[in-house]
Amino acid sequence: MRAFFILTKRELKSIKKEKTIMLAILIQFFIASFSSVILIGIMSFYDPASIGENTRVTIKVGIVGDTTSKMLDLLEDRNVKVTPFADVDKAEEAFRSGRVDTVMFIPDGEQGVSEMKLILPEADTSKTLILMVLNDPLKKYENHLRAANGVQLYYDRVEGKPYTNYEFLYSVIIPILMLFPAFIAGSIVVDTMSEEIENKTLDTLWSAPVSLNAVFSSKVFAAIVTAIMQCLLWTILLRFNSFAIQNLGLVLLFSIIIAAAIAFAAALIALYFKDRERAQFVFSTALLITAGLSYFLDPSPFSLIARLSVGDLYVGATDVLLYIVPLILLATASFTFSGRLLAAKS
Amino acid sequence: MNNVLIISKREVTRLRSRFTGRSRIVVTGVVAVAITISFLVYQQDLVLSKSLYTVGVSSDGPSITDQRFNVLTLDSKSGYKKLYQKSIDVYIDGKDVVSRGDQRSQYATGALKQYLAKQELARISDEYDIDKAFPLRIEVRHLKTEKPSLNAQPRVSLSDILGTRETPVSQSASSEPLAPTFDEPAAQEPNDTAGTESPQETPPRVASATDAAVRQQLEKLESGIRLPEFKAEFIADEEIIVPSLMNPPTPLAQVMIAFFYIVPLFFVSVFFTSSFMEEKTNRKLIILMSAPVTPLQIILGKMLPYLAYSIICIIGITLLLRGNVLLGLAIFIPVMLFIISIYLMVALLYRTFKDQTFFSVLAVWVITAYLVAPAMFSGVSDLSYISPLTLAVQMFRGESFGLTEYFLSTTPMYLIFLLALFVGTRIFNEEYLMGFRPLHTKLAEAVYLAMNKNHLSMSILLLSLFVIPIVFMVQLASIVMASNLPMPLSLWALLAVSVIVEEMAKSAGIAVLLKNNVIKSRRRIVALSFISALGFLVGEKLLLYLALSVVSESMFTDAIFSAGLLIAPLTMHFVATCAVCLLTSRLGIRLYPVAIVAGAVIHTLYNLYIIGVLL
Repeated sequence: MRAFFILTKRELKSIKKEKTIMLAILIQFFIASFSSVILIGIMSFYDPASIGENTRVTIKVGIVGDTTSKMLDLLEDRNVKVTPFADVDKAEEAFRSGRVDTVMFIPDGEQGVSEMKLILPEADTSKTLILMVLNDPLKKYENHLRAANGVQLYYDRVEGKPYTNYEFLYSVIIPILMLFPAFIAGSIVVDTMSEEIENKTLDTLWSAPVSLNAVFSSKVFAAIVTAIMQCLLWTILLRFNSFAIQNLGLVLLFSIIIAAAIAFAAALIALYFKDRERAQFVFSTALLITAGLSYFLDPSPFSLIARLSVGDLYVGATDVLLYIVPLILLATASFTFSGRLLAAKS
Repeated sequence: MNNVLIISKREVTRLRSRFTGRSRIVVTGVVAVAITISFLVYQQDLVLSKSLYTVGVSSDGPSITDQRFNVLTLDSKSGYKKLYQKSIDVYIDGKDVVSRGDQRSQYATGALKQYLAKQELARISDEYDIDKAFPLRIEVRHLKTEKPSLNAQPRVSLSDILGTRETPVSQSASSEPLAPTFDEPAAQEPNDTAGTESPQETPPRVASATDAAVRQQLEKLESGIRLPEFKAEFIADEEIIVPSLMNPPTPLAQVMIAFFYIVPLFFVSVFFTSSFMEEKTNRKLIILMSAPVTPLQIILGKMLPYLAYSIICIIGITLLLRGNVLLGLAIFIPVMLFIISIYLMVALLYRTFKDQTFFSVLAVWVITAYLVAPAMFSGVSDLSYISPLTLAVQMFRGESFGLTEYFLSTTPMYLIFLLALFVGTRIFNEEYLMGFRPLHTKLAEAVYLAMNKNHLSMSILLLSLFVIPIVFMVQLASIVMASNLPMPLSLWALLAVSVIVEEMAKSAGIAVLLKNNVIKSRRRIVALSFISALGFLVGEKLLLYLALSVVSESMFTDAIFSAGLLIAPLTMHFVATCAVCLLTSRLGIRLYPVAIVAGAVIHTLYNLYIIGVLL
């Protein structure tokens, strides 16, 4: 056991020395930050409803045509500044001089099809912004016209919050942050194992009074420790950004189980192929396969983390503990076959 | 050329020997399974937020088939109770949707709102005539914002657009269709026949010109959003908008294209670096270097097979996605060169596998972010042309793009490739490749080796120019990172980081020369500092100019080159760099960080002064 800890310490030291772990954290930090920028910035382009929440843009709309239309009230509800124009030329002048951002022509009457015209500036970005802000009042006006035409519509008054960011955070970002350390752990194991095999240092270590399994498990263990550290760091950082993860204990336990299983699988692959080139390739591809296959599970690891972290009551410890089965199988296989795999010709 | 081919042939043989016998079977099997699984997952609708929300529905409520919802059928009593106990997020009681005030319930309601609205659209478009179900159509037209007098060309005026129908003739009931050319036949299609049961006594409706547009958008909605739809812009020119059918674009296309092309390219590049690394470790590279071949021939020779594999991948993927092969090659060859040049640098700089893996992972993320993020804006902002993926999105949409756009996105990639080849050949010596030294020392050595000692001024000028894109990327990344901090702090952090990065970029070359005792006199240091500052300023402005010239009609382009705005920053860059270099020469290279801080302080004072003036 002492040998195991000495070896683990040596492994962790080498990881620390090469600053690799720092870099891994930096990469993930970058992903997390990048996503938050995407969340607020780019994602709002794809979820017009959220733009009102995230920005305080005021759009000025000039109205031509029916200036008593219900549309005007709907626009004002959305904090859009409305200026009615009796004369088209005046509206054009206001548009060209920038006093209004867009001109809307509203035809009279609410029966039948209403063919509105919307004059937008040619500049790309402002055009998109105007459309995003007008989207909601236009939808409401459309429903109003439907009602006027005798179309019965249900569920049109349901409100709720724009959910894109929420879904993105919990079903993409948090699972990535919690599972990426596992991928890194596997990569570290492939690298250290194949490096020692290629440099023949594993043979030297093996001939010392330590068993191959001690060498082998210390490498796996060191990789798992780095994964745990990263996951902990993520939860702290997410807390800082006031994103709460529910069932934190279970989420962490699950990430550790996955990291351990991947690390053992990586060790087996490295022992089988013996050189880094093939081992890394097969490891990455095999991981892609497993990730793809796991999508068909219910719940899949990705969705299990998402559901646990939003506090879904319909998933729990049982779902997490089920994953111990493949871990035990992989660990047993590693301990049983390590010697034979290493001895076999590559 | 002959030597390059010989080395390439040897590389292919080496790679082949890796995959013989049992391992070939295993690897082929693994790849085949990976392709099958990806295909299977693609066949399913990829839903990442499976069962994220729990919804209770009463027996007379709607059926919910969206996989994001975990649906429980509950009567009113238990429905309200469970909602109150927070074991469901939202409850649908017949035609009413009930939620709690907390965030989770509100997000669930938001998601449900979108789903139900879509279902309702499907229902009303089945039950009602198209003119009743979609009574509002908006024709979008564009006008230039500045006054027409500024330009001699005749401009379309607002009254032209609103046409003769300035007196609001409301609808299609008037017998005058808007654009009578191609829409009428389409307007007679099946949906109209459903209107026979309509109880209205209005005279038979003449199909509106906008009906065709509505039908087209409805069809799109019904067919669902699958990959082949590469619509990525918010709105095309002269489009008819139907508010409830106006779907914001999803960035799916960009991400998918990136995934399809970049993953194989990365795999190929990983083999390339691994091969380099291995030959470095087992010293075969040294043997190769003693042969009568140049470093450039070795690098190109080893690279050639992987470039060929990548090109095969690009052709295959483009054919699979039914794109234009020549365009696909034109777009993705620079991307491939960019990726492979970064991997080449990783292989040359590092000696251990672990380091290599980590830097490769970093490279993957940075490259993917660089390619995907700007492409998200395709159709929204012209700045999206920074990324070649935007061109790919356009290619798959069957749209054309100009040479300017092509060169804007690809020139930096070609340049980086050439730069990597240049630096690669300069540092290609045994001592450098086999040495175990910390990263910063290795980088400093690379800079030193890359410089031509006979033309120091030119080397420093070019170095300053070439580091601009790197500085730009680091600053961009620091903006992203700073978003984690609260507001005033993030701004200060950002200012500090950009100043330090710029000072390092300007003085690195001179500091390396000082370290190697190539320059000693104070006059020389001052002269080189000036050249470095000049190069940096020119590069900086050039990059800004390029970026802004794409965003057409920008007044900034004039501002950049106005004289007052050039002399002041040149002086500042010069003074700060000079301070850093003179201090380094006085204190010794070990205290270079201290000198950087001193330069950064000067730079910051200038920045603060400018901000003060502007405010």
